[in-house]
Amino acid sequence: MGFKLFLLDYPLKGLIPQQSYQVELAMEVDGHGDRIQMQAFLPRSDARQLIIEEQQATGLFTQNLQSEGMNRIASWEGDGVQGHQEVRYTVLVQSKPVRYELPEGQSIPAHYPPSLQPYLMVEEGIQVDSPLIAERVEQLLPATQERTLAESLTTIHRHLQDAFENRNFSGYTDALTALKLGEASCNGKGRLFVALARKLNIPARLVGGFIMEGGSKRTSHQWVEAYVNGHWVPFDTINDHYAEIPANYLTLYYGDEVLFKHSSNVNFQYRFTTTKRLIPRYEAQQTLGDSIFNLINFYTLFERVGISQDLLKVLLMIPLGAFVTVVFRNVIGIETFGTFLPALIAAAARETGLVWGLIGFILIITITALVRKGLDWLQLLHSPKMAVILAVVVVVMMMMTVTGVQLGLFELAQMTLFPIAILAITAERFAIITEEQGVKKALHLMATTAVVIAACYAVMSSLFMQSLFLAFPELLLVVMALNMWLGRWVGMRLMEYYRFRHLLQSGVSNA
Amino acid sequence: MPDWLNKWRQVRDAAADVLSMNRRNLGYVYPHNARCDFPVANDKLLCKEILQPLGVPLAKTHYSYRYFYELRTLAEDLKGLDEFVIKPASGSAGNGIIVIVGREGDEWLGISGKRYSLEAIQRHLSDIIFGVFSFDNNDAAIIEERVVQHEVMERLYDRGLADVRIILFKHEPVLAMSRVPTHASDGKANLHQGAVGLGIALESGRCTHAMLQGVPIEKHPDSGTVLIGVEMPFWSEILSHSRHIAEAVPLKYLGIDIAIGKSGPVLLEINARPGLEIQNVNRQAMRPLLEAIR
Repeated sequence: MGFKLFLLDYPLKGLIPQQSYQVELAMEVDGHGDRIQMQAFLPRSDARQLIIEEQQATGLFTQNLQSEGMNRIASWEGDGVQGHQEVRYTVLVQSKPVRYELPEGQSIPAHYPPSLQPYLMVEEGIQVDSPLIAERVEQLLPATQERTLAESLTTIHRHLQDAFENRNFSGYTDALTALKLGEASCNGKGRLFVALARKLNIPARLVGGFIMEGGSKRTSHQWVEAYVNGHWVPFDTINDHYAEIPANYLTLYYGDEVLFKHSSNVNFQYRFTTTKRLIPRYEAQQTLGDSIFNLINFYTLFERVGISQDLLKVLLMIPLGAFVTVVFRNVIGIETFGTFLPALIAAAARETGLVWGLIGFILIITITALVRKGLDWLQLLHSPKMAVILAVVVVVMMMMTVTGVQLGLFELAQMTLFPIAILAITAERFAIITEEQGVKKALHLMATTAVVIAACYAVMSSLFMQSLFLAFPELLLVVMALNMWLGRWVGMRLMEYYRFRHLLQSGVSNA
Repeated sequence: MPDWLNKWRQVRDAAADVLSMNRRNLGYVYPHNARCDFPVANDKLLCKEILQPLGVPLAKTHYSYRYFYELRTLAEDLKGLDEFVIKPASGSAGNGIIVIVGREGDEWLGISGKRYSLEAIQRHLSDIIFGVFSFDNNDAAIIEERVVQHEVMERLYDRGLADVRIILFKHEPVLAMSRVPTHASDGKANLHQGAVGLGIALESGRCTHAMLQGVPIEKHPDSGTVLIGVEMPFWSEILSHSRHIAEAVPLKYLGIDIAIGKSGPVLLEINARPGLEIQNVNRQAMRPLLEAIR
């Protein structure tokens, strides 16, 4: 590890947590038994924003992803959709602010390569050819004076920022309407900016996105980009960002598009929910694998056979989770169902979240144990009975998935990754313990197991730990060493201080 | 020195005397009891086989069944038996044990009052053979003589068999206790399930402490019999038998469970990993005692 740190110049700094945003987009519809289609733009990674992790809960809908130009479009379709249904998309983003210094004194180029031509053309809502636009351009930047690139953009930006009222109107406003009214929302101002810039022969385009602020909201945002010396420079005349945008702007699409499209009469609603999280820089994780000094670049090896880094992270975390369980059992003295069960459930709870993972675990065990009690009157022999219980676990899990989808509880539907065999064994043990040592004891063991699962989850879902282990898989050796040390540790377990408290007190009074 | 630090040091020193789970395993069980010798403790049939020639008093084995086909003769086997105990050879914590005290027509009467048909008994034996009550996947079922308890023990509680547990290290008795069942423990001599633990002085065989679920008591919760001061019958025999047994088996740290019958002690089983609760029952930390033997 030290070798990697000092000789290979590992980007350890990159492991220091960085502000990230988790954005959840929830789209709701009310179905009346017809076919429903929805469509939205999804973010893509670029120099400014990095998409780390995406998750979809599509419910009754089938999802289809496609690329169109620079945009990524997701569409969801469902047949015979009844009642209130939901599609959720969650993305983890790390983004940076950008700021450009525009070159002073440079004049507007007369010619651009053909690839930029679309960004100079007239569009339906961007009426570059309108006399009113020409008039306003002339008024702002008289043709008699020399128009420099920087000055032109500054003038347009200031004009839109200062002379136009911001309107909180969510409907469509074209460039001309905005110009006539002297007030507009983000999309109206954006179109007018683009129209004015294009009229001056500066390639410009609309950008659609979302401002990632804590909490939940039902609005998206638009801003613009102008082409300057090979760079697309952002401007936002609603929030007065000149040649810059802050880190919390999430770009979703380019061009004069509508963020959402959907079937009519479905009462479509959307909601963005942003949570800020501190996680290590993703690039750091990436560059670790790319280092040419890394003799065995085994992550790409894994990727070649279709094992994602995500799965690897889970794998690397399982021994750590088992260690947490060992600490609970041998140092604290809390009994659990099995040594591995808590770590495996915690790993599976990645998909469901902790609360639903625990609810799912408890439901599976209790339902299966109840069914197993019901099997008692059949007086089955042990092995066939275990096989029946295994099947019951699978059925219970599938039923929970179906119920989860029906009720819109997508987290519950993600439970298919639970370790089936271990759950079957646990359900059997749970049932035996209720019989031999009473229901109270069994419930107690269930509760302590749940606590340990939560602890495992806390450690295993920590992105810091995940990145650390991904960067330094040799840390598994440290985990092994710690386990070995605990394996030779003869100290008193915390719970034993309580168990033998009378002995300890009398020991104190004797002393 | 601050008061709390002083207090902490005292607790820490006292803790060093208590035999903890981790230390029991690493310091005593693993080094002194080889894994390959565990079967002596785990398998009651094997245990009987080894100890029988040495004259250790054992409950007579009427029948044992290791394979299902052996159960074909069950009806025939049980014909002359009205009183017997069914046990798994490798059971633990008193699980899987049925005590039959009489017969009524086609059915047998359990000590708890439950009735058993021939099929029910056969099913229970199959469960045992299938390993339901043991850690392995198969086991042997034993039908043995029922130990009729000495009246001193019977007076403490009469709906289950009490036992005496002695822990020995290098053939020397270290601590002793007696476990007396209760209604709550369902007639089992298992402390965790609610049996009463009696701390027994090694020298005298007298009960010095009585403990129910970690709380000191003076009388049995069900029978009301005063417990402190009760003297175990046949105490010197119990001690000499335990020494004998400890010398005969390869385990150097072990618990020996003995029942006290009308005519003398009877070995119930040997435990290679005896529990730690005996320290609480006796209000006595065990490590100094073990260190003295070392």
